[in-house]
Amino acid sequence: MFRSLRSDGAPKVTLTINGQEVTAAAGQSVWSAMALTGQSVTRRAALSGENRSAYCAMGVCFECMVIIDGLPNQQACLHRVAEGMTVTTQNITQDCEAENAGP
Amino acid sequence: MQALDCAIIGAGPAGMTAAIELSKGGAKVAVLDRGTRAGGQIYRAAAASPLPNTSALGPDYQAGAELIAAFERTDLTHFASSDAWHLGDDGRVLFSHLGETHELHCREMLLCPGAMERPMPIPGWTLPGVMTAGAAQVMLKSDATVAEGAVFAGSGPLLYLIVAQYLRLGVPVTALVDTTPRQNYLNAAPLLPRALRQAGQLKKGIALLREIRSAGIPQYRFAENLEVLGQNKAKGLRFTSGGQIREIAAETIFLHHGVQPNLNMTRAMDLAHRWNPQQLCWQVETDAFGQTSIQHISAAGDGAGIIGADGARIAGRLAALNILHRLGRLSEADRNRQATPGIAKLAAMAPFRAFIDRLYHPANALRLPQNPDTLVCRCEEQTLADLREGFNQGARDPNALKSLTRCGMGPCQGRQCGHMVTGLLSQWRAEPTEAVGYYRLRSPQRLLTLDELSRFQAVPAPTHAEAAE
Repeated sequence: MFRSLRSDGAPKVTLTINGQEVTAAAGQSVWSAMALTGQSVTRRAALSGENRSAYCAMGVCFECMVIIDGLPNQQACLHRVAEGMTVTTQNITQDCEAENAGP
Repeated sequence: MQALDCAIIGAGPAGMTAAIELSKGGAKVAVLDRGTRAGGQIYRAAAASPLPNTSALGPDYQAGAELIAAFERTDLTHFASSDAWHLGDDGRVLFSHLGETHELHCREMLLCPGAMERPMPIPGWTLPGVMTAGAAQVMLKSDATVAEGAVFAGSGPLLYLIVAQYLRLGVPVTALVDTTPRQNYLNAAPLLPRALRQAGQLKKGIALLREIRSAGIPQYRFAENLEVLGQNKAKGLRFTSGGQIREIAAETIFLHHGVQPNLNMTRAMDLAHRWNPQQLCWQVETDAFGQTSIQHISAAGDGAGIIGADGARIAGRLAALNILHRLGRLSEADRNRQATPGIAKLAAMAPFRAFIDRLYHPANALRLPQNPDTLVCRCEEQTLADLREGFNQGARDPNALKSLTRCGMGPCQGRQCGHMVTGLLSQWRAEPTEAVGYYRLRSPQRLLTLDELSRFQAVPAPTHAEAAE
């Protein structure tokens, strides 16, 4: 169970994680915001589809890749939350077909 | 584009100290770092902690804030939130900042990529809820986020430090599962007398262990056969200790058994590396001043061989003195004179480091996967059995194995599996690690969007030197 020890009155931002509206301290990492709301699955492994989550939290394992504002492969531990941000678990496996992004 | 005197990659203790020294010597310096503030991993957020009180993190961490303040007062260009993705031996640096690639040129380059944790490929290590002790540190320092009721498993100072920090902050800890092998105490004993010359460090370590013991959390020693329990997420840890199989329920399991240089930067530059048998990792070859096999490229700090934050500060300063000499700003005699105390200090620190390295020498059974089904390459999902199959088909070296199995080809670019693959091939071939080698790495060293690449036209990075002209 993740918990915040933050006691300062840091400004808050509101973001959406997998459809759930979440309030987080500005400047916080996306990963930490996910962990604190109990949504710790960041991606599914591309071949097996197994659940994965942050392992190193410092940018070297690439396990916490999520989709941020429509852009996949974003490391949740390296990105900071922002007002209005949309974060979703990255569910891109070998069976997925690419969408045509248009001209 | 005007070339800078020196570009420093990484703003941890080595990079910050070097930058201060170079600026003092009159060099035009730019420092690139991924963080929003300087500090690196060890002094992460030391300048602006989200914690109400940082005293629980210890005086070493608080001292980091002073170095960051000195760095931020220094007249130099600091590119924060900047991820270097190409470093050329022609002095060209490409880095990504807010989705745009920028470019700068430098006469000298100093690499300070720091350390990362040695992966611990026990069964179940890819389950959500399994993280490194360093991850616990990062979450605590950057985000004041902690995991309640976690099990800490492994060996080494960083593991004990985070457990003590949790306890000081009143965060419940379920257990400490210590994997330091019994034999290590015997092996390290002969190095103790020389290590005692740094009695302060030793006392600090003993006080830390005593603090954990007096907190009364369950502690298990000489643990072996670790396995994370759970199907879709971690549910607990199974291990043997004291001749018994034990199972402890926990949602979060923090693993740790030492750190190793974060290799990708020095490897991608094709610098000469050597295997460090004491620390069981590759490290870039340097002289006493951090100069690598390419003269105008230097490396300092843990990224050039694990020496700790205090050592990194000294190494950063030594590298800076040598770079000032190479730039013609310091005579050889002056360089040597100014370097003497630092070189002596590093030499004085070496026996304690050697003692720690031997005492917390990771067990092979934890460093290399033992179970055929355990993933070695987390990105491309290659198990021990898959790699063995590749080896049996004739892939004898890391690059051949990579081509055949895709091991090391995923987004982490071998950061996690690289050392394991070297170790496994060395075992299977019954040949020394040096004969096996490592992956050949290339730019880009970070994930880039196709958008950034397709619009790729490097923007000259503004430096304070140009701005002032």
